[in-house]
Amino acid sequence: MADDILFDLLHSEIINYTLRNVDDNEKDKNSDKKDEDLSNLEYIGFSTGYRIIERLTREMPRFKDELDTLKFICTDFWSAIYKKQIDNLRTNHQGVYVLQDNAFRFLNRLSNGKQYLEVAPRYVAFTCGIIRGSLANLNVHCLVTADIQSLPSCKFHIQVQRV
Amino acid sequence: MSRSTRFDTKKVNSELVNLTYGTLVAQMVKDLDNPDDVSKQLDRIGYNIGIRLIEDFLSKTGTARCLDLKDTADKIQTAFRLYLGVQPNVVNWSPAGDEFSFILDSNPLTELVELPENLKQLKYSNVICGAIRGALEMVQLDVQSWIVQDQLKGDQNTEIRVKFIRRLEDAMPAGED
Amino acid sequence: MAVCAAIVGKDNSPKFFCCINPDEELTFQYKVLSSLDIIEEKLNPASKSASEMRELYLGQLYSLETCKIYGYVTNTKIKFIIVVDSTNMALRDNEIRSMFRKIHSEYADMVSNPFYIPGEPITSKSFDSSIKNIITGTV
Repeated sequence: MADDILFDLLHSEIINYTLRNVDDNEKDKNSDKKDEDLSNLEYIGFSTGYRIIERLTREMPRFKDELDTLKFICTDFWSAIYKKQIDNLRTNHQGVYVLQDNAFRFLNRLSNGKQYLEVAPRYVAFTCGIIRGSLANLNVHCLVTADIQSLPSCKFHIQVQRV
Repeated sequence: MSRSTRFDTKKVNSELVNLTYGTLVAQMVKDLDNPDDVSKQLDRIGYNIGIRLIEDFLSKTGTARCLDLKDTADKIQTAFRLYLGVQPNVVNWSPAGDEFSFILDSNPLTELVELPENLKQLKYSNVICGAIRGALEMVQLDVQSWIVQDQLKGDQNTEIRVKFIRRLEDAMPAGED
Repeated sequence: MAVCAAIVGKDNSPKFFCCINPDEELTFQYKVLSSLDIIEEKLNPASKSASEMRELYLGQLYSLETCKIYGYVTNTKIKFIIVVDSTNMALRDNEIRSMFRKIHSEYADMVSNPFYIPGEPITSKSFDSSIKNIITGTV
């Protein structure tokens, strides 16, 4: 579909923009941080997720519980955005969920190799934000991190913050 | 057991693009103090998208070399339909035939956007101008593009102007003698 | 037509209020806020009805001599409340439900504005007039 490529290109530009901005700031401080600061990228994802979930759940019946909500994220939500469902969902039933996507959309085009593995976090930060934002608006407050062992597979770790 | 809802993927796709773009603009407004700088950055982002999007367009449509600017305008019109789902009119040709406008009855990018009072000078849709410029540069056309009318600012339509500057020399692919 | 519509945030603070007759605003605000307890009750997972109540529309919350109050809660825990005059017999459940759906749709569009910060009071003039049109039945 035509829009697919548009989203892919926009996503790359958002990565470029946020990293460029961080670079500029770091030059000023003369710092040589090893890990890239991906917080702005994550935040753009958060804000997008927060808004789009309002639209996507408009016609949905009320979610029964947290697990029901997570299942929705893995199926309907994931297919709408990433064109496939999450391949595996695990939970310890105590607020930790692991979502595994074996062919994650934004990693599909990276070749498997160590040098690509190093930049891979850039390609998942926006999505960590999307998950966190969507869940936050559905009143599941959590931390989301991504774990990439071998491309293009990715595990998203969700840790629900109980209040 | 399973929820029956299946989303209209085409609709979700364009909503996703529009929302993501909006969030990016809002973030830029926060990062850069001056709305004019934001407009410039949006044009630059559009340019980067355009130089890549053209490949996709050419392969999807199997488009041959444009005969003239009129032909080019028609092809960009197709691209609008393909990527933004709108069909603009091509109008307001300059007497010399080197300038024209796209008129959009509705602009999907700005449909749900309301500009705050302090951002009235922001050229929110500049990404489209940048994309046109970038895409045409890849087919050896140097153009300028800018927004003339903007529904975000209360205008009836959105009008995007394109001006032909010159034909670029066919660049040799890098690394080949 | 309905006489009043309100939107209440996740934190139970009012985000938007629209009253056809401005003189009644204060009375209705009070009624709307006192209906929030009933909504909480209906959504409480411990209550028997909650597990069956998967629909976003909650139906009539309560009725007084002068008016009837209806509720709707989105999946994101935003509450919409509509007040209808008791003498109004024309509005049936289905009409109220469809009013809520339209309000929800407008709300989702409003949240999609990248310059609106979720959780802030809603000040958009176009949103206000859309909601007025919905509750007066002009759309």
